[in-house]
Amino acid sequence: MKAWLRTVWESVWRIGWPKDDRSAVKALLQSLVLHVHPPKVRPESLKFRATWGLGVLSFGLLALLTLTGIYLMFYYIPHPDAAWRSMKDLAFVVPFGVVTRNAHRWAAHAMVALVTLHMLRVFLAGGYKPPRQANWVAGVWLWFGTLALSFTGYLLPWDQLAFWAVTVGSNMAGAIPGIGEHFRVLILGDRTVGEAALLRFYVLHCVALPAVLFALVGFHLFRVRKDGGLVVSEHAESAVKAGDGPRLVPAWPHLLYRELVLSLVLTAVLLALALWVDAPLEPEADPARTPNPAKAPWYFLGVQELAHYSAFWGGVFVPAATVAALCLLPYVDTHTQGVGRYLPPERRLASASFGALLVFMAVFTVIGTLFRGPGWALMWWPK
Amino acid sequence: MTPERDGWLHAAFAVSSLACAALVAVAVARDAKRPAQLEQRLVPALGVVDRCELCHAEPKHGPLAASHPPERFGCTPCHGGQGYATTKEAAHMAAMDWERPLFSRAEQQAACGSCHLGQRAPVPLAAQGRALLADKGCAGCHGIPGVPRPDFAPALDGLRDRVSPAVVRLWLQAPDRVDDHHRMPRFRLTAQESEALVAHLWTLPGPPLDPRPATLQGDAERGKRAVAERRCATCHRFEGRGGLVGPDLGLAGVKLDAAWLWNLLRGVHRLRPESRMPDFALSDQEAADVVAYAAENWLPDSGEPPWLGLDAPVQPALAAAGKVLFDELGCAGCHQVAGTLAPPAAMTLDRLGDRWAAELPRLATGTALPDVPHWIAGKILTPHAFDQRDAAAARMPTAPTVTDDEALAMGVALASLHRKPVPVEYQRQHDPPSAPLPAGHTGRLIARYRCLVCHGVGGQGGFVARIDLDGVGSRLRQPWLAAFLASPVTVRMDQAERMPILGLAPADAQTLAQWLGTALGDDRIDAAPLPSADTATLLQGKQCFDRHGCGTCHVAQGGGTMRGPTLDGCGVRLQPGYVFALLRNPAVVPHGRHPPEPVPERDVRALAAWLLHLPATPTATGGP
Repeated sequence: MKAWLRTVWESVWRIGWPKDDRSAVKALLQSLVLHVHPPKVRPESLKFRATWGLGVLSFGLLALLTLTGIYLMFYYIPHPDAAWRSMKDLAFVVPFGVVTRNAHRWAAHAMVALVTLHMLRVFLAGGYKPPRQANWVAGVWLWFGTLALSFTGYLLPWDQLAFWAVTVGSNMAGAIPGIGEHFRVLILGDRTVGEAALLRFYVLHCVALPAVLFALVGFHLFRVRKDGGLVVSEHAESAVKAGDGPRLVPAWPHLLYRELVLSLVLTAVLLALALWVDAPLEPEADPARTPNPAKAPWYFLGVQELAHYSAFWGGVFVPAATVAALCLLPYVDTHTQGVGRYLPPERRLASASFGALLVFMAVFTVIGTLFRGPGWALMWWPK
Repeated sequence: MTPERDGWLHAAFAVSSLACAALVAVAVARDAKRPAQLEQRLVPALGVVDRCELCHAEPKHGPLAASHPPERFGCTPCHGGQGYATTKEAAHMAAMDWERPLFSRAEQQAACGSCHLGQRAPVPLAAQGRALLADKGCAGCHGIPGVPRPDFAPALDGLRDRVSPAVVRLWLQAPDRVDDHHRMPRFRLTAQESEALVAHLWTLPGPPLDPRPATLQGDAERGKRAVAERRCATCHRFEGRGGLVGPDLGLAGVKLDAAWLWNLLRGVHRLRPESRMPDFALSDQEAADVVAYAAENWLPDSGEPPWLGLDAPVQPALAAAGKVLFDELGCAGCHQVAGTLAPPAAMTLDRLGDRWAAELPRLATGTALPDVPHWIAGKILTPHAFDQRDAAAARMPTAPTVTDDEALAMGVALASLHRKPVPVEYQRQHDPPSAPLPAGHTGRLIARYRCLVCHGVGGQGGFVARIDLDGVGSRLRQPWLAAFLASPVTVRMDQAERMPILGLAPADAQTLAQWLGTALGDDRIDAAPLPSADTATLLQGKQCFDRHGCGTCHVAQGGGTMRGPTLDGCGVRLQPGYVFALLRNPAVVPHGRHPPEPVPERDVRALAAWLLHLPATPTATGGP
């Protein structure tokens, strides 16, 4: 019996638990899942400060969101008559309903934040420089996809928060000159948020956007490896080539173990959050009752704040220009001096301008989130 | 192969693995508290998912349970709270996502009122509130489903012909000094605003007045008789007594322009098409007599009118500002101008039941009111005590003489209104459907004599008489009705309100009697022929009258007490079928104040025969 079980196991996992570096490398290369990792990695890439674990954490969040999301889909009915009641069922009768919904909610917020930070980290290290330009652009689209997923998911609870945040968000899309109104009708399926919008957002959130995101993530990880792994400083690069730097170490166990630990920490933190901080739920969506102020999700509040000054310049031009600039960046800023280090003197201008952009958006997001009261009037004391 | 020996890495691994295990254990332990089995009531039509019976296994069902089975109504539509919840706190208390905790008593009444519609609904507060909302004229400014626009405020066309500006000035500032039963709510007007309104009102033209012949002399003595005979006091107050439907005439001698009054009495609807007053159409002479009587008798006790000293010329320059204010205050929501009411000026109150106390403005003192009905009551009693900055809220007037209980009743009535009404199969309209009134000549007579101001017909009107006209055709005989309309006699001595002498032509009285006799029947009363009057039956009938104690309330044959109507000659007045029905089932008595005991079936025929054959004047023998 034991021998038979061993045969079954070995038919799946051909190589046993690796015993030395050589078999570890082989194990990685033989595995469909694991061979996105390079067989050997540079020791400095393993240092925490090299990545702050942001890519792995983002991926981990995506995995957790997929798992919890599938569970939520079992109970969720995407119709205005039933959607909010599904939340009530999750809260009161579904096994692990509360904790699953909380985890999904907090993981989604965390993913928006961590993917943004990941992009910042890669930028600071010059990770978009040749030969990694295409992967940077894929990353920009992943960031965009994360926002889109978060925004579409925001509507699904069908409470006042969801309804009015999406109303505000889609109104901002309506400010695009010429096609704005058409675009808004395209995403809402109607002139206002309603049955059609809920169904569209549901399909986008659960089918279309995840499919695109998974494909992009596959491409992104594949290219990380094909583009030579993490960007490292020229100094470390030449040292390795000359053979007098620290030796490459096998990814198994050094990289895999770190990934495992990060995933465990992430799971623990998320579980703790999900157990003790409840996801918000407001009264059922009521088109006849407008909250004042109606606010978009927090990651769009910077844009909403800008749109308050000018619907076109703040709400359309600045975000569109930002995305365009991020996509063009690797093809404009091509010199490779100072990559692999944070804030190198050679990249003062790039770091400063990206930092400025980030601070700019952060300031407006904070104003929009905390200091705007009824009628979008400034409110010095956050509520 | 062992991982590299990084101490912190191993520590993180150990701590996070343990933490994950512990947290999963916490999640499992928490989930174990979820009810293993679900008890829930589903009422899809009402959107009810009620899990109350998880804890309330055997709900204490009150007297209403039989008519409100939980299978059909669930729990939360009547009791409030969160039906989805499976924990006591979530089910009973308000939370961020659930603003409706268990209903207070007032909210419960409002919930009753969501299904039980109408002013006769068996929900005391909501029904009383609806009547008050109509009575106080709330629907003049607010659109309120189920509450009619007010029809009691005078039209303002030609006000300048009617009274002096001083009267209007005092009215706007202190209406109770003009009429202590006034119904207009108090607006907080500055002297400047009052003056502007007066200026605007003085621009509104009225119908031209007929010149009074110079030779026409009124006689106050004859006028006094006319006022008494026409029974003006049924609707108007003077000398401290009388009805409240018409204006107080105590000051009419100094308040009203004599020429205008003379014109009014000759044909009230020409000057005041919206007036509730029947068209008495007094002759020139009779009108002059009443004007003379008014000028001598309807005067202030002190000899000086309360608006003394307010006389000043109207300032036409303020008229434009007055018009703006007039529209802003929504004056034309109650007072017709040029024959129409303006649309309600203030917000529509059709969904106050969807609001909850916490989201409504607080009192300026910071105090929160406990529930929506109490909030509305507060708003009615002290409209300006709230922390509201918008101009419309500041314009809300104060209703005269509303008690706390009345305000709460109105709050309950308004809190029973929802944007989405309950499904029709749950609605119960308790007011009778409004019967179509005849058109043509009969309809014009009904309008001219304003029958429906005093008498209710099919749920419409009926502000004075205690007896609705519904079913009157099955109760009273047409010839008697025609005679009564032409020259009303008093049937019920204990009743203060007397039918006015309208001066109907016999043909018109006949027409109206025909309408009453044929159109307004009562399904509970079958027509019956006059029972025959053989001596044995009449004798038995007389014995029954004595045995059943009818004389406790009725006078007949010179004996008895005059509480109910006199029965001598009642055969002329009453339909035999009605008398039969009344003796068998006193519930058919329309006003039902002192319904008699039912009479045993064996006595009905004899008693009816005896009553219907009673002569109009008692005979010496004590029997017909």
